[in-house]
Amino acid sequence: MATRNRTILFRKYRDALKSVRAPTGSSPSSSSGGPVIELATSSLLHPNRSYAPLSTEDPGSSSRGALTVGLPPAWVDVSEEIAANVQRLRPKMVELAKAHAKALMPSFGDGKEDQHRIEALTQEITSLLKKSEKRLQKLSAGGPSEDSNLRKNVQRSLATDLQNLSIELRKKQSTYLKRLRLQKEGPDGVDLEMNLKGNTSRMEDEDLDDLGFSEHQMAKLKKSEAFTAEREREIQQVVESVNELAQIMKDLSVLVIDQGTIVDRIDYNIQNVATTVEEGLKQLQKVLSLLFSLLSCFFFFSLFPFLKFCFKLIVHPLLSSFFPCLCYAGMYWTQQAEKTQKHGGTVMCASVLVIMCSIMLVLLILKEIFL
Amino acid sequence: MVLISAVRDYVNRMLQDISGMKVLILDSQTVSIVSVVYSQSELLQKEVFLVELVDSISKSKEPMSHLKAVYFLRPTSENIQHMRRQLASPRFGEYHLFFSNLLKDTQLHILADSDEHEVVQQVQEFYADFVANDPYHFSLNIPSNYMYMLPAVVDPSNLQHFCDRVVDGIAAIFLALKRRPVVRYQRTSDIAKRIAQETSKLMYQQESGLFDFRRTEVSPLLLVIDRRDDPVTPLLNQWTYQAMVHELIGIQDNKVDLRNIGKTSKDQQEVVLSSEQDAFFKANMYENFGDIGMNIKRMVDEFQQVAKSNQSIQTIEDMAKFVDNYPEYRKMHGNVSKHVSLVTEMSKTVEERKLMLVSQTEQELACNGGQGAAFEAVTNLLNNESVSDIDRLRLVMLYALRYEKESPVQLMQLFNKLASQSPKYKPGLVQFMLKQAGVDKRTGDLYGNRDLLNIALNMARGLKGVENVYTQHQPLLFQTMESITKGRLRDVDYPYVGNHFQQGRPQEVVIFIVGGTTYEESRSVALQNAINSGIRFILGGSVVLNSKRFLKDLEDAQRTARSSTNLV
Repeated sequence: MATRNRTILFRKYRDALKSVRAPTGSSPSSSSGGPVIELATSSLLHPNRSYAPLSTEDPGSSSRGALTVGLPPAWVDVSEEIAANVQRLRPKMVELAKAHAKALMPSFGDGKEDQHRIEALTQEITSLLKKSEKRLQKLSAGGPSEDSNLRKNVQRSLATDLQNLSIELRKKQSTYLKRLRLQKEGPDGVDLEMNLKGNTSRMEDEDLDDLGFSEHQMAKLKKSEAFTAEREREIQQVVESVNELAQIMKDLSVLVIDQGTIVDRIDYNIQNVATTVEEGLKQLQKVLSLLFSLLSCFFFFSLFPFLKFCFKLIVHPLLSSFFPCLCYAGMYWTQQAEKTQKHGGTVMCASVLVIMCSIMLVLLILKEIFL
Repeated sequence: MVLISAVRDYVNRMLQDISGMKVLILDSQTVSIVSVVYSQSELLQKEVFLVELVDSISKSKEPMSHLKAVYFLRPTSENIQHMRRQLASPRFGEYHLFFSNLLKDTQLHILADSDEHEVVQQVQEFYADFVANDPYHFSLNIPSNYMYMLPAVVDPSNLQHFCDRVVDGIAAIFLALKRRPVVRYQRTSDIAKRIAQETSKLMYQQESGLFDFRRTEVSPLLLVIDRRDDPVTPLLNQWTYQAMVHELIGIQDNKVDLRNIGKTSKDQQEVVLSSEQDAFFKANMYENFGDIGMNIKRMVDEFQQVAKSNQSIQTIEDMAKFVDNYPEYRKMHGNVSKHVSLVTEMSKTVEERKLMLVSQTEQELACNGGQGAAFEAVTNLLNNESVSDIDRLRLVMLYALRYEKESPVQLMQLFNKLASQSPKYKPGLVQFMLKQAGVDKRTGDLYGNRDLLNIALNMARGLKGVENVYTQHQPLLFQTMESITKGRLRDVDYPYVGNHFQQGRPQEVVIFIVGGTTYEESRSVALQNAINSGIRFILGGSVVLNSKRFLKDLEDAQRTARSSTNLV
């Protein structure tokens, strides 16, 4: 497929126009001189741009310009932490698979370290998944804004990754469980069989040595019982972790998009965003104006008994008239903000609200002190 | 696959080299272009966490300098103005600009001028300027499609816009395929000639460097034809799945809107019908209605089996298995309900409008002979109360197209009856259509009664009988494709542009229908490609028509023509 790169030409025009706009050389890197020299130096400053028409350049290398790349907001740290967890989880899953395979192989000795290792790994993985999932919930933002849409999408993407990992873990565990069960039948069956055979043969041959042989058999039985009990315990643990994972998956599945449905369409998501952001702002402003009207009523009713004590102090008379004015000013601002739908309006209203509450507190304290 | 994979490759290349969190900004046209080939979850995998429209993004003021902006726009003057404003006060850390077609030098100057903060890292042209509905079918979604029916004097500037958009779209197709074709057009159509000539000029003169690709033995062919050469296909009622859904409900960018139709559950109000994402649809999109019913029943039975096994959960193992399979189960459930609700809706419409009866007559009008019987059938249906107005109009139009010259008296009778019974019918629409697409205006042999060979073939077909009365119609496009395959496309009817000449058969053919394609024709193309005759056909149009849209275009054209003559 053909493409055409216009970046070179664009840069040429941009530099030419820039020098025309500011011919006295405002860029710090240029030496003294007229626009001709500046043009030359600015083109020399990009020597590593290739001329191949199909090149894609590394855009991260140049960021000179008046706009400094700002610090990302705090939630980006959370998302990066979760992404790092996901990266750590992948090699651990591989390790777990290896440990499962090793434990299932017939081995001499107890195989207890293998079991411990598997348990430890499984615990680690499950706890990492749980922790990541909890942090993921934190990413949900309150209030609609462009930022919240961004957060929702980041959340979705991480939720998909986590869900895939937990599905993988479950599959591994269930296959391990199945094979473990098969094995449990195996050695016990053989043992029991051997026991029976041993029993009958011994019984036939030597009836006199009951005590000795039954002890031997008892030991064997005890051993197999212990073995069975241990396997039971392991299976129980695996089942528990399976249930835990099921819980995680249920939580995550709410966040994940179903592929192939309308929700997975880009144009559908764009339409929805546009409507919800507008509505959200309106709701917020409605709430704020309601709050202001309530506060003003409250001040009126609470201030009436105060007003009687007010005459004693100098401060009170001034403030008691001041307060309702503040309330009404706040309401007015809220309504103005609603009309013009400015972001700044809501912020201002919120700050006014805070100021008024603090003044009221000061007033109460003063009242206590002076009365 | 070729169109869809071309657009996907372009989008992949846009996103792959840019690391970190990105925001993708599109305009109203490129949203459709990207949405039909790329899903939201795939974008999330590429770390694109926000998608915005270029005109709405200017309303918000939050700076998000930790994001890198990837713009994919059409190079129109409005978009350049938007870019100017946004570059003047940049909100994002980096700006990567991709345009879906050729940028003019002046536009590049304007962009360079407004980039005072030097945030633009790259400006590229990625030629994904068409909506790839299906692997071999594209559309341009041009809103004022009806302009093609009007002569140039009526509204020259709008017609120029139309032609420019078409030429841009066709150029993008060939740039995406990396080919330069030989251009042929339909002789009798002025607009086809104009578009063919402008395309050829672009490819061979104005941007000959850009189009200078490796030459194959036989150049590919671009054939520009006019919708009015085959006005019958968009008027007919359809009985194959994709075409039927579009005809009865309407498909836009592979989405079906069920909100106005009856009562549907909340998650079935808008559904996606894409052959890439839905295996059942891919297998059934060209099947006829009867077969679809059976296949859906089979799918529902399978699903019920799975659901029943999910009900009986007794051990922990069962539970674990259920949780494992839950995503699959949910997806299957969604798919089954989607198809079931579509087919239910269509069955209801077929019942209400008595479409089985109407369609039988339509197919006979389109395919077989017998003027007397046809007249009687149409009159009976016009008298039938349960036939809707739009169906009556279509029947009369089909009759008029076929028997225009044979018995004018009876035709007049039908016109009068139509006018008296359908209150919303705008008089003169049928006559307007005959003026546009009557037998004098058509090049192709629409009814197979122009030369002896075709008449003989028709008779043979008639004697053999048809498998299914409702799907016996073959669009004219099918014959055109056959002629191209046999190398027998007549130069008299379809002349070349310039002095290119083509010996032998081309291996790639792009057919562009000015005025719009139909899903019946895209089905024809897909079936032809499946035969593997050594030629690959690609079909495109200015819109995708159904009978409602075609009639609306006729009405709009008639109204504009009338108002312009009033002015004159």
